[in-house]
Amino acid sequence: MATQNTEVHDATAYLQKATGNKKYNIGMVLGSGFSNLIELLQADLVLPYGEIPRFPKTNVKGHSGRMHFGKIGDTSTMIMQGRFHFYEGHDIRTLALPIRVMRAMGVETLILTNAAGSINKSFVPGDLMIIEDHLNLSFSNPLAGTDPTKFGVQFPDTSGIYTPELIALGRETANSLSLSFQQGVYVFTTGPNYETPAEIRMMRKLGGDAVGMSTFPEALAASHAGMKVFGLSMISNFGSGMSDQTLNHDEVVATMETIKEKVALFFRDLIAAI
Amino acid sequence: MGLTAQEIQKKIPNLPSIGLILGSGLGDLADQINSAVEIPYADIDGFPTLTIKGHQGALVIGELSGKTVVAMRGRSHYYEHRDMKKIAFAVRFMKHLGIGKLIVTNACGGINPALYPGALMIISDHINLMGDNPLIGPNRDDEGPRFPDMSEPYADSLRKIARACGKELGINLTEGIYTAVSGPYYFSGAELKMVRYMGSDTIGMSTVPEVIVANQIGLEVLGISCVTDMAIPESLQPLSHEEVVAVAQQTKPQFIALVESIIKHF
Repeated sequence: MATQNTEVHDATAYLQKATGNKKYNIGMVLGSGFSNLIELLQADLVLPYGEIPRFPKTNVKGHSGRMHFGKIGDTSTMIMQGRFHFYEGHDIRTLALPIRVMRAMGVETLILTNAAGSINKSFVPGDLMIIEDHLNLSFSNPLAGTDPTKFGVQFPDTSGIYTPELIALGRETANSLSLSFQQGVYVFTTGPNYETPAEIRMMRKLGGDAVGMSTFPEALAASHAGMKVFGLSMISNFGSGMSDQTLNHDEVVATMETIKEKVALFFRDLIAAI
Repeated sequence: MGLTAQEIQKKIPNLPSIGLILGSGLGDLADQINSAVEIPYADIDGFPTLTIKGHQGALVIGELSGKTVVAMRGRSHYYEHRDMKKIAFAVRFMKHLGIGKLIVTNACGGINPALYPGALMIISDHINLMGDNPLIGPNRDDEGPRFPDMSEPYADSLRKIARACGKELGINLTEGIYTAVSGPYYFSGAELKMVRYMGSDTIGMSTVPEVIVANQIGLEVLGISCVTDMAIPESLQPLSHEEVVAVAQQTKPQFIALVESIIKHF
């Protein structure tokens, strides 16, 4: 089996050839309901993950799985439309692969988006949350069981994993658009089942504000590889036991439709300011 | 090649509507099943066999309180193989045999000081601290949703029946939250404090994977814990599996009476 070093090398070599050795400054990962952000990009090239050597495949409804290359404003950007999730059955180390490829393509700042359930009682579906920190409740992480020194240090510091300067910039950008937002701690679980009410209460006691099944592995891989990270959650549903509604994936997607245009403006301005 | 669900269905006069998973020391409930057909796990295609002493592994299918049930006498635990797929298989297999309701039982440690060794507790909710999940991997959409809702993992309607049965039998039934950890070691004092802080009343090494799968495939679930030891961090005593089984054995008459009554009222 190829080491991840080889996998990153093979994927990067292919992409460098496909893009004519262009460098990209910003990487984005579009989570559930953020697909419309692709419209910000003046794309030069779109590649299904299946065409990229060593890339795994996504198989979740609503996550189509393509890498886009182009510009947002003047900024060279590559965008992952559809991401790999731990609950799909991938080895969690695999989730670091595309992030490390983006780093190898020159990306210095990674923007992560996701849909999340609320934990904080003052949050409601449709709220945006700038991620200030995370809790990893999966008992797994993408660095263990690999040789992380191929991509970064052995023992990465995570004290400012969501880059404080970017959090400040995100706040300013949102304020300038009169876009209201929350800020808080994202709890990562394996999924794929939604949480029980007891688990939501536990997460609240532990200091979580929102919960989801992505983002942490990518943020860790990115930070480890020396990238700055900005994370934005959209609260798509009340945490289990916090309202009378049951949860389903279609509701998540529907909720997001309502504020997506303003979110697109937010990222346009944020990327211009980075 | 072992038996399939369809082949087992041909061996039994009536299809089971209720599944029972019998926890440590609680397997004797299977002896109450009339006209029982017993099928060792080892004879069933793909069924996980057991490795732990005191857990005899067989499906027991027959009549209990006027209903046809399938009981798992002995269960496969995560700590035996670290393979959630095996645990999921057993639950899906019982669904294929015909069940619509599942009663999951276990022996557990009591964290809430109001509990005591021998107490029976209806599980109201759970916390998964196993660090794994039986639904990780490709989903078969024909079996259940990719992202199952877990807002009511233990059916309110079944809990209500269980409470009424407990009352009728004069059993002091409590309700509370069960936390599952991988095991097989019993938690330390500091770890128990943490689990208590997280809001749990009991702790054990089973049940949660089965309940997650059962919810995904649309089974109604009732959970019953037999508290076999107190896991109070401030007064922790050395604990052995033999003691756990002994307390479960003492609670057996009450436990059997309760489950029989619940099944009658289902």
